[in-house]
Amino acid sequence: MNPRVLIMLAALLVFSIGLVMAQEEMTKEQWQQEIQKYTAERDKVNGQLKQLESDINALKSQSVKSDEDFKKCMDELYALVGADAAKAAEYRAQLEAAENKANELMRLSDADLVARSAEVDGLEATVKNLWGNKLSLIPEFWDRLTALNEKVKSLRGTLASQVKTYTVKTWSRDRDCLWNISKKKDIYDNPWLWPKIWQGNRDQIKNPDVIHTGQKLMIPKGNELTPDEKSAARKYYAKKAVVAPVEAPAAK
Amino acid sequence: MNTITRKVTRLGVALLFTSSLALVGCTSRPDEAEMKQLNDLKAEVASLQKEIATKEQQKAALDKEVAEKNAKLKKCADDQAVVKQRLANK
Repeated sequence: MNPRVLIMLAALLVFSIGLVMAQEEMTKEQWQQEIQKYTAERDKVNGQLKQLESDINALKSQSVKSDEDFKKCMDELYALVGADAAKAAEYRAQLEAAENKANELMRLSDADLVARSAEVDGLEATVKNLWGNKLSLIPEFWDRLTALNEKVKSLRGTLASQVKTYTVKTWSRDRDCLWNISKKKDIYDNPWLWPKIWQGNRDQIKNPDVIHTGQKLMIPKGNELTPDEKSAARKYYAKKAVVAPVEAPAAK
Repeated sequence: MNTITRKVTRLGVALLFTSSLALVGCTSRPDEAEMKQLNDLKAEVASLQKEIATKEQQKAALDKEVAEKNAKLKKCADDQAVVKQRLANK
């Protein structure tokens, strides 16, 4: 190759490298511009930060004030019904217990519900008692009690659909006892189901050997004993076995 | 003619060398301390921006908290009105 061309190429290479270096390195003027740009940015961001801190402090104060206002408002609300926060908490706990009981009863099978109808009575009385308290006027409690009422109504409906009644006649003429009543064709047609009648009427039959003429007994639906009824029957037979074998608890 | 070509070539090479040297060597550039000043400034701005992001999150959380408390407060005032009405109807 011609040495002159080589020299020209080398000179061009040096020129290009010089150009690239000149482009990559910052000039004093560019540095000045960058410093100005970032200083302005820092001042702007500092201003934003100050504003944010001020907003945050204002919000914190507002939050504390809201807490105080809310407490005052609740105290006034309870005072309207002659109560205070402690009484309301106690009432809330009673209401929650009643709600839990209602939910427990709602989950039972129809037969089990009939066997535990006394608990529905108890729940109904509790709900009535809760309505009697002026705290029930507060919407939080009012709404929950209204829902509870619906549940009690539903339980009552289930019980009503499951139970027919039988009025006890005399022992001397009709031979009415739980065993014989249970044996009747239009009752269970099975004397061994007598604990069903006993457990369905625990509120009025304390001792299954003793029923009274004129008593109106609920006859729970079903053709077999529930675990609770079986357990009650076992206890009864165990107790009686000590004295004498029992066949027929009689109407007196 | 040959002499003229040689002279032009030499002149061209000399011109390229000179201009590249001028480009690299004669431009005014910031020194090390000035570059450090710029980098520190950039780092400060980045750190402040990070702090702003944190504060903005904090502010948003507080905004939500205050809004919830105000809603509770309003409900309490509404409840008072309802209870007064129910007491009057009793």
